[in-house]
Amino acid sequence: MPLPLPAAILLSPALGAFVLCAIREDRDALIRRLAVTSMGISLACALAAVMTYNPVAGGYQHEVVIPWIRSLGINVHLGVDGISAVLVLLHAICAFTGVLISYAIKERVKEYYIFYLLLITGVFGVFLSLDLFFFYFFYEMAVIPMYPLIGIWGSDVKEQGVVRFSKEYAAMKLTVYLTLGAVVALTGILWLYASSGAKSFDLVALQRHLASAPLAPSLQQWIFPLLAVGFGVIAPMWPLHSWSPIGHAAAPSAVSMLHAGVLMKLGSYAIIRLAVGLLPAGAQMWLPWIAAIAVMNILYGGFVAMAQKDLKLIIGYSSSSHMGYVLLGIACLSPLALDGAVLLMFAHGLMTALAFALVGHVYDETHTRYLPDLGGLARQAPFIAGCGVIAALASSGLPGFGNFVAELLVFLGGWDRYPVQVICGTFGVVITAVYMLRFVRGTFFGELKPAFAHVRDAATPFARLPYVALIAVLLLIGCWPKPMLRLIDASARPLIERIAPSPMQEKYADVDSLDLQPLAPRETP
Amino acid sequence: MAWSLLSVELVVCAAILLMLAADLLVPAARRDSLWWLALGGIALAAVLLARQQPSGIGQTFQAMFLVDRFAVYFKGLFLLTAAVVIIMTREFHHHLPARVGAFYILLLTALLGMLVLASVNDLLLLFIGLEILTFSLYIMAAYLKTDARSVEAGMKYLILGSVSSGFLIYGIALLYGFCGSTSFPVIRAAIANGHAPLTAQAGLLLVLAGLGFKMAAVPFHLWVPDVYEGAPTPVVALLSVGSKMAGVVATLRLLYGVFMPLQGLWGPLLAVLSAATLLYGNLAAIPQTNIKRLLGYSSIGHAGYLLMGLSTASGSGVEAVGYYLLAYLFSNLTAFFVVVVAADAVGGDALDDYRGLSRRSGWLAAAMFIALLSLAGVPPLAGFVGKLLVLLATVESRRLWLVAIGAVNVAISLYYYLMVVKRMYLDAPRENSPIRVSPLTAGTLAFLVLGILAVGIFQEPFLQTIASALQP
Repeated sequence: MPLPLPAAILLSPALGAFVLCAIREDRDALIRRLAVTSMGISLACALAAVMTYNPVAGGYQHEVVIPWIRSLGINVHLGVDGISAVLVLLHAICAFTGVLISYAIKERVKEYYIFYLLLITGVFGVFLSLDLFFFYFFYEMAVIPMYPLIGIWGSDVKEQGVVRFSKEYAAMKLTVYLTLGAVVALTGILWLYASSGAKSFDLVALQRHLASAPLAPSLQQWIFPLLAVGFGVIAPMWPLHSWSPIGHAAAPSAVSMLHAGVLMKLGSYAIIRLAVGLLPAGAQMWLPWIAAIAVMNILYGGFVAMAQKDLKLIIGYSSSSHMGYVLLGIACLSPLALDGAVLLMFAHGLMTALAFALVGHVYDETHTRYLPDLGGLARQAPFIAGCGVIAALASSGLPGFGNFVAELLVFLGGWDRYPVQVICGTFGVVITAVYMLRFVRGTFFGELKPAFAHVRDAATPFARLPYVALIAVLLLIGCWPKPMLRLIDASARPLIERIAPSPMQEKYADVDSLDLQPLAPRETP
Repeated sequence: MAWSLLSVELVVCAAILLMLAADLLVPAARRDSLWWLALGGIALAAVLLARQQPSGIGQTFQAMFLVDRFAVYFKGLFLLTAAVVIIMTREFHHHLPARVGAFYILLLTALLGMLVLASVNDLLLLFIGLEILTFSLYIMAAYLKTDARSVEAGMKYLILGSVSSGFLIYGIALLYGFCGSTSFPVIRAAIANGHAPLTAQAGLLLVLAGLGFKMAAVPFHLWVPDVYEGAPTPVVALLSVGSKMAGVVATLRLLYGVFMPLQGLWGPLLAVLSAATLLYGNLAAIPQTNIKRLLGYSSIGHAGYLLMGLSTASGSGVEAVGYYLLAYLFSNLTAFFVVVVAADAVGGDALDDYRGLSRRSGWLAAAMFIALLSLAGVPPLAGFVGKLLVLLATVESRRLWLVAIGAVNVAISLYYYLMVVKRMYLDAPRENSPIRVSPLTAGTLAFLVLGILAVGIFQEPFLQTIASALQP
């Protein structure tokens, strides 16, 4: 019997970590090859899962159910729907490129890859689990490896030679914040379990039970904020976002890639899947607040990013700004906006991974990330500079990249419900352009400092592979978003219709009727 | 009289007598090999325990002594704890010159006390069991006669322990005055209608105070930090796992077996104490600079979770406590085992001595890492499931404020556990010489770590065992 796809995706990095434990520490090449192989298998399986997902049938597919704790109704229930399939693919791409980028790690390689693969396993587990117990199980399992990964292989955030945040501080702040959020969410999960009467942690069974016997709205209004705020910490929801930029800044590049690219999406995914999916009345009550917070995310994160001088802090704050669009898209409760939010999670994940990868390269070569110290690197490293420009354009929402399609969908879908918030959100696009262009100009253009005369480009095809792969996917979904949107829509639309059968979405009743093709300009490759 | 019901205790008694004789006959230089005898006694006791009929209830000595599945389950845990502590002591031999034999004897008497406690069905037997256990620990805590901290530890433990014994015996006297018997069934019958006079209620509270001392629950926790810091490390392991478990077992017997009708009295009381214990233990652990003190405060925090499970007065709460104890046993014994092994190599028990431990012995650091994360409640480790079950039982009992406190304390405890991890993994070592670990120690550590993983991942078989053992 062939191994079901979700199980293969999940087990491959877990087994990789396990096997690595048994390998001698000095065999770096073998260790790296093993990590790349295990991630390659995961990526192939994730691609297969996305390709074979049938959007017409919808619902959860590729399901695996193994009863685990019968007395509590806990199953190992793996499977994907359109939303999680997209996110699994995102994680697989980011993790695979991350493993390649990790070739820059030279110290304590074995330990590094063990923790990195454990982190990857945890994140896959969250996206693949259709059981609340295992959802939390993998979520917390993904948080903890961040501590050693940042603490050992990270770097202090310096400004003019003075340490602003030590990596130990950043690692601890991140771990404690995320754990605090997790336990708040856990309280909500347990409360939900105890009051649903379904005696099951299985998401599908719980959904079915709640559809016939919904929780009292008075209860939902308490449980919803526990889940939304608890998981919102990792999203990162303003004002609980402060762990995230310094966490990104202190982490080694490959970890920042996963962290900003995928980990933050765990929060928004959990809000979609658990908070909104299971507690419709609570969602109706609280989502306007989330929309307001999302606007704060967009504007506040953007303005703070403008003031930063550390490259990673710029990208870090920009991530928390962009996640505001995702939260806004979720809060709109319209299929179109939710499609946009999920697509933005995917596009933003790739874009941020790209940005962190190239900032990591710049830092490895110049040993500084302080913007005033940098400049003129385009002459020495034209390939990296080109990637930097592309990342900046993608981030600013230029047509041709996935981010543009996704943000547009959020704005279109949200207009009817939150026009003010949408208008505020569009300002965020302008702010993004300001700091991203400032980042590109300050790093790659201008006069080349003599100290950087030795800086090398990513020269070999192998070193360029992660960048090329990320850009290719970004352009692909930017120019031809339809297949992925169909996939997302297959799950987002039923979700919204179950919660808010509202009449206002008739204008864009179907994503297929909204012809997205002309929106992508012809001149982009 | 059914002697077979006493077989486990009798074997341990026989082992104690044998070792007394052996301690006289074996030349001083070879006494450290006596651990074989102690371990053999425990192994034989374990075999006999496995043969005791797991179904039905047996009682003897006019129903003072009870053998049910509850007793069998916890006796199993006590035997496992004692066996690990004996192997741990083997690593500690060179600190106990010439008097090793007596140390093992005391270890076995402490075990005897715990075994008796698992079977109590009478207040007097409860008192006797507790005193056998505590007296052994008084002596063991002060075993390093030339070390002032050890003597201080023994002294503090003796004084505060005597006070708590005073509480206990006074409470027993009041309960006897109320119903004219110390037997559990008689007391249960006397309060079956849910009403008890003030004297009986006071008696119950005093008995709980005595047991709270064993569990290291606030406000009877004051002895913990100093005793943990000063006493020989294997003794601390026994204190923190065995003695705490014995306190919980006796409390379970008493509250769930006898005083269930008065749950309106003790439920809220334990809930409040649980919150205080959690907050005190975990917050006070943060500034600690000594690993044993830190684990001491953390063990106070764990007492808080145990009280939380006890306070639910529900079947799921009891199961959660049973699971929590199992997870705590594996995790805490692993942590103390590493402390024992590392202490000689790194030169002390200060947290800063652990700097760079992962570079000197990757496996030792990994074992500590896993043990600490399990104590903090991180999946996929044992402690996570224990905490989850306790929180779930508390949610079901509708005490959400307590759940909130319990949940927040997970994050607080993670902070100070990670501070230890920081030193082991992030900081540079003072010296780079690798640490040698004997095969027996490595094997035991591997067993404990695998236990942590197994209890954390394959919950169902353990849960079923516990559920069938703890059903009233």
